[in-house]
Amino acid sequence: MYQYDNFDRQFVQERVEHYRAQTQRYLDGKLSEEEFLQLRLRNGLYVQRLAPMLRVAVPYGTLSSQQLHKLAEIARRYDRGYGHLSTRQNVQFNWPELEEVPDILEALASVDMHAIQTSGNCIRNVTTDEFAGAARDETIDPRPYCELIRQWSTNHPEFDWLPRKFKIAVTGAAEDRAAIAVHDIGIRVYRDDSGTPSFDIYAGGGLGRTPVIGAAICTGLPVKHLLTYLESCMRVYNRYGRRDNKYKARIKILVRAMSPEGFREKVEADWVHVKDGPGTVTDEEIQRLESAFTEPPFESLEEATDNLQNQRVAHPGFSRWLAQNVGLHKQSGYAVVTLSTKVTGIPPGDVSDEQMDVVADWADEYSFGELRISHEQNFVLPHVPQASLFELWERAEAAGLGAANKGLLTDMICCPGGDYCSLANAKSIPVAEAIQRKFDDYDFLHDLGDLDINISGCMNACGHHHVGHIGILGVDKKGDEFYQISLGGHSGHSGTTASLGQIVGPSFAREEVPEIIDRIIGVYLDNRVETVNGEAESFLDCFKRTGIEPYKERVYANADKR
Amino acid sequence: MPTLIKGKEGQWNCNPDTEEVDWTNVDTFDAGKPLMLKCDDEPDAGMTAASLIGVEFPAFNDGRALSLAVLLRTRFGFSGDLRAIGEVHEDILHYMVRCGFTSFQLSPDRNPETALGVLTPYSGCYQGSVVDPDPAFRRLSRGSVNS
Repeated sequence: MYQYDNFDRQFVQERVEHYRAQTQRYLDGKLSEEEFLQLRLRNGLYVQRLAPMLRVAVPYGTLSSQQLHKLAEIARRYDRGYGHLSTRQNVQFNWPELEEVPDILEALASVDMHAIQTSGNCIRNVTTDEFAGAARDETIDPRPYCELIRQWSTNHPEFDWLPRKFKIAVTGAAEDRAAIAVHDIGIRVYRDDSGTPSFDIYAGGGLGRTPVIGAAICTGLPVKHLLTYLESCMRVYNRYGRRDNKYKARIKILVRAMSPEGFREKVEADWVHVKDGPGTVTDEEIQRLESAFTEPPFESLEEATDNLQNQRVAHPGFSRWLAQNVGLHKQSGYAVVTLSTKVTGIPPGDVSDEQMDVVADWADEYSFGELRISHEQNFVLPHVPQASLFELWERAEAAGLGAANKGLLTDMICCPGGDYCSLANAKSIPVAEAIQRKFDDYDFLHDLGDLDINISGCMNACGHHHVGHIGILGVDKKGDEFYQISLGGHSGHSGTTASLGQIVGPSFAREEVPEIIDRIIGVYLDNRVETVNGEAESFLDCFKRTGIEPYKERVYANADKR
Repeated sequence: MPTLIKGKEGQWNCNPDTEEVDWTNVDTFDAGKPLMLKCDDEPDAGMTAASLIGVEFPAFNDGRALSLAVLLRTRFGFSGDLRAIGEVHEDILHYMVRCGFTSFQLSPDRNPETALGVLTPYSGCYQGSVVDPDPAFRRLSRGSVNS
């Protein structure tokens, strides 16, 4: 993991003091609500429907055990004993006192953490593959470049007051677990023919009310030019992005208006002036950051195949968990473990202080003190010896983190929705819970296979509903909460190109949603065929083959009787 | 009356703005005259002949003028006084300084003493800027931690 040096520490400390003074001026009546709003947002603080919400940055989703223990302590001391894992790999606290936020930021700074630029119209926390540095399909660990971008984008003098928020995601694996196609800027890093890191840049992707797949605007960019190229992209956006209408202010609207070619030309015209300038990344800096993400001291272990097989036979629950939540590691004898937060009755992504503490302990015991937060709102232990999997599973089961549902229907992505968020049109957590209650048979869920249900409480799409195989969007119909359902979206993982869902038709009342999901699944089960390798066709493949018509027919059948 | 904050020999001073500047705009500008730009004006090399350039912030949270300032300084080499005008808020000053502004016409409702206190809240920054083009990775030997 990247370790702060004195420079990082001093900066974060000065930021805490800066924000403390701003808070004091607000409390003294010297800053208006609107003025303070802009400042607190850039320090992670929203004021939500019921209380403030503090969003803590977890850079590219990587945390140390010590940092997670600190988050648990903050949850106990300043919140109501829980926190929320967000779809941007961050941690949110729902009940802090505005006056106490500087103290919380001080506590975060003590473990080299902060909440800088986790909201507001600025460059947000950079996200990446939650399995970075561990996954077997990875060609290059993206985190050194994420850290490079994090530092460059922090308190940038020119780009902290953009037309709208700006999200950058990076991936370095064959399977894009970072959903780069639906980010303002998506970056793919790979090794070129000579083995040198090379970057493809995509711009203008995004969700929200106008979902767009990003366009490639630069390929084969060498690492030394990464920051100057991003600088030019940001400058074009900052100068020409729309500011008259917040719904048309994201970069995707600008890229569409200019066309990707037009945008690229503007960027290139600016870039010739900064390329090879002082912003060019030095070899020393690249080496410094790459050396911060070297492999942990793995032992030389055999693949524990036989032993795991015996444990699987004896314990069907373990077998399911192994099949669903445990992934291949690039180091022989190790595995990547996802600890699911998706348990019926608990809002997706919510974790208690005790759970944070035990997960931090497991990170120390099983995973070199390191853990991750995934954009699917789960914890990941990236480096677990296979011989410890059974023990870890037993402990995870006991702590309510052992659900064997990663990637399944019940592993829903879900925003906080109308229960917390003042932007939401509708609640999302009760919808997730009702669906989990309807589909609680493990065997049935496993038979269904990978199925992403994503739920957003409004157009802002924090629950990524456009890229769910089944997307659910809360809408307001004359003051009542309704839900629009879309099908066939995909975030770009599992080697499939990202796609946006198609809306089925008129929206549904909340209590109808589980039944509608059941009908949709029924259409899939009736239509799916066996693939050439004898497996069941996936929901997504089946949908692409049949199209939306059979779903429309069944979903709206007997509509008058519903 | 608004306050004018100006840098002189490394010191920032603030005084009531009694300068009566006879601004021109992009249509009426001549070399040697003070030029007032809107934040969406396109900069060009001819503007460097201005005796003073003012850039208007239409709202305190509108960052376009920051990019315009960077272009005037780094692309066209304007070396005269570059003044922030309009909705000039104390909490944006530190960004403005790093983007090359050298004077600030502070909005009448802002407190000049507070503004002077928050001009440079950070002893170091990650990126290069107009004031110091080198990023931290060129300025410093990074990576040492005294725990």
